[in-house]
Amino acid sequence: MEDIFITKKQSRRHFLSRISYGAGGLILLGSYGFTITKDSRTGVIRAIAVDFEKCTGCRTCESVCAEYNNKVMVNGELINGLGNPAKSNIRVYHFNPDIDIPSTCALCDDAPCVEACPVEPDPVTGRRALYRDEKLNTIVNDPERCIGCQSCAIACAQKRAGVIHPDPETGNPRFMCTLCGGDPQCVKYCPYDALKYIEMPADRDLNNLAPEKLAQIMIDKFYNV
Amino acid sequence: MSTKGYFGKLLEVNLSTGKIEKTSIPDSDIHNFLGGRGLGAKILYDRLKPGTDPLSPDNILMFMTGPFVGYPIPSSSRTCVVTKSPRTSPVEKKYEHSSTLSYANMGGFFGPELKYAGYDGLLVTGKSDKPVYILIEDENVSIEDAGEYWGMGTDEFDKIFHSRLGEGRYESCYIGPAGENLVPMACIINTAARAAGRGGTGCVMGSKNLKAIAVKGSGIPEVADLKKYNELLKKIRGSFMEKNDRVMDWRYGGTANALTSSSGNGTQAVKNYSEGTFSEIEKIGTEANRKKIWKRDFACYSCQLACKKSGFAKGAYGVQVHDGPEYETGTMLGANLMISDLNGLHKLIYDGDDYGIDIISVGNTIGFLMEAMERGHIDADFLDGIDLGWGNVEASLELMRKICYREGIGEIACSGVKELAKIIGKGSDEYAIHVKGHELAAWNVPVNSSSWAITYATSNRGACHMNGGNSSRQDGACLRDSLGACSFASSWYRNDIHYRHILSSITGLEWTEEEFNKAGSRIFTIEKMFNYREGFRRIDDSIPEKFFNNKFTYGDHKGAIVDREEFTDNLDKYYESRGWNKTTSRPEDDILQELNIEFTV
Repeated sequence: MEDIFITKKQSRRHFLSRISYGAGGLILLGSYGFTITKDSRTGVIRAIAVDFEKCTGCRTCESVCAEYNNKVMVNGELINGLGNPAKSNIRVYHFNPDIDIPSTCALCDDAPCVEACPVEPDPVTGRRALYRDEKLNTIVNDPERCIGCQSCAIACAQKRAGVIHPDPETGNPRFMCTLCGGDPQCVKYCPYDALKYIEMPADRDLNNLAPEKLAQIMIDKFYNV
Repeated sequence: MSTKGYFGKLLEVNLSTGKIEKTSIPDSDIHNFLGGRGLGAKILYDRLKPGTDPLSPDNILMFMTGPFVGYPIPSSSRTCVVTKSPRTSPVEKKYEHSSTLSYANMGGFFGPELKYAGYDGLLVTGKSDKPVYILIEDENVSIEDAGEYWGMGTDEFDKIFHSRLGEGRYESCYIGPAGENLVPMACIINTAARAAGRGGTGCVMGSKNLKAIAVKGSGIPEVADLKKYNELLKKIRGSFMEKNDRVMDWRYGGTANALTSSSGNGTQAVKNYSEGTFSEIEKIGTEANRKKIWKRDFACYSCQLACKKSGFAKGAYGVQVHDGPEYETGTMLGANLMISDLNGLHKLIYDGDDYGIDIISVGNTIGFLMEAMERGHIDADFLDGIDLGWGNVEASLELMRKICYREGIGEIACSGVKELAKIIGKGSDEYAIHVKGHELAAWNVPVNSSSWAITYATSNRGACHMNGGNSSRQDGACLRDSLGACSFASSWYRNDIHYRHILSSITGLEWTEEEFNKAGSRIFTIEKMFNYREGFRRIDDSIPEKFFNNKFTYGDHKGAIVDREEFTDNLDKYYESRGWNKTTSRPEDDILQELNIEFTV
């Protein structure tokens, strides 16, 4: 279903010109300024990109994320759970003047959350409690080793979008994007194709991530007040 | 344990005593009345003494979810507000405060969040001695001071209230100055754009000194057959994602698409219902809005149709960022007033929502006064000097402001056209377009009158365009409003993805077609019995005289008029189809028994 809803009026290039990465990024709208090439300075990563102009705030992404990532066993079969948005890794923030900002883990190349993890790296795997999984490049927590100190959540909040929220009981980090095993459900089910799972330069600028800041940029863009 | 798909719990807040209770809903009520509008009607029938003053502390203001609400079933986010109406009255008053019940439903995110907090409904009774709001976070519920917010328009309130609630995703609904000032046609707003618009719900909220409700939750009730539910959900999502013309039309224009089509069909309220076609409709239709006003589409929870449009208007009336014209708002404050200035229309809609007033009723009322002026039944002095001519944006803005603050003429006009006609006299009741005191909406009657006249005449909250023109449509609407599903998406839920299959998978109860339809009929009939108990009879199931006397003079349906005998005949047939007495309109005892509401006999 890739690109079905990129209408005639809207070329793929136009789409790319106004996307942002994960929870955000400086490359927005008309300030398009990157090219995806194999020889990008620090390589290419695949992550969720958001087209903030398209998002309608329906939060279907939250439901399907929660369903897929909270599977339950029914009669010996592991099936999707209920789409309780409180358990979703992607969150949509609503603002007035009208704008909705989906916010999700950007899989940051320099991963301040992982850097902040104080747990000693495992001598064999080199992993801390919070680590980057090589397979999909996702950030994963090992609950066996996590001490619940919340350093990762603080680092994410201070340096990036504040996507990581500690579990209120264990302190373990929650809401890192799993990419749903390589088939992100939020992308698959977004009714407006506002979400894309695409390649982007790993050295993309991720300084401007907070939903509030993104909302302001979009409000200026749409309403110019 | 309650039926699956429900928490089986009501949150009850008494604002007189400050008592906060969590009560259980009997399973039999869940099975018979489903939730939302139906369960609300049952509670109101059980608990409210006949003749209760709608603005007294005894009235119950209910925010009801349905069994679909909170689940990501596409377009099923509705919250149904149920209460006793401050808008209606019968011809012969059995009690001083005889009135119908009222139900008004709103989309968005409030209902789902209320469900996540653990409640199938919130019941507010009593009256606070100072302005308050109710704060709900899962099991923690408190009544908070709202003094600093009293007087705020809904747009400003929405911005400030949410920023003060801080991090977190509270959902809220609230009243504006109209509700605070006890304007009978005040409504309840959420997200500064969506309204539980009809039937004076905001006035009841204001009478309780309740400015707002904020809620945040983390739970979701279990479903009985998760596998089956998942299969159905996948199919439903797939059916919306086909992106066919139906889907794309909703996205392109929402209900505003009907502005031009309804005008062409002669079914639009134009010039206080004197005409069915507006010659300047293109100036305020979808294309004009796409070009000049709308910036983005936005959606309610888990809705793929995104019928709502964020608009941005800049011009003679300043700058507004607001939900742009829909069919109802665009007609009632546009075509019905002969207004085709798009910026002016946008400003009127913004102000109406900001004051928190039912735009249908206020548009209808302004139209009535324009006609009274034209006919010379009133003059500018009657209107505090406002020169209220057709198409006059400034005059309409000023009149609406006066209504919302009950200032001067607003003190009378805020009660709507039925009361105004009594005061003006001179036969003006002929063109006072209401049923039971509740103003008609943006769909005009003469073309397709067999359906529209019955729709308006027999609706249980007074004139209601969502009612349906025959018993099966009406029962269907009851079911939809009780499940929490949206009318606009209902045509997708057919055959193997019918509502009743979803309800069966959620509850684990096998809903046959017969039992399901019977539930719809039961809900409509208990509402009718509430009204009957208040003194509403056949004579109240009428339509305004204008429709029998006025012929359209313009458009393809020039000459259209309602035939009185045909209407009487259709009403007879309607009562027959329901098993109601044709003289009194009372449902016969055997029907009440068959529907398991013998307690109303």
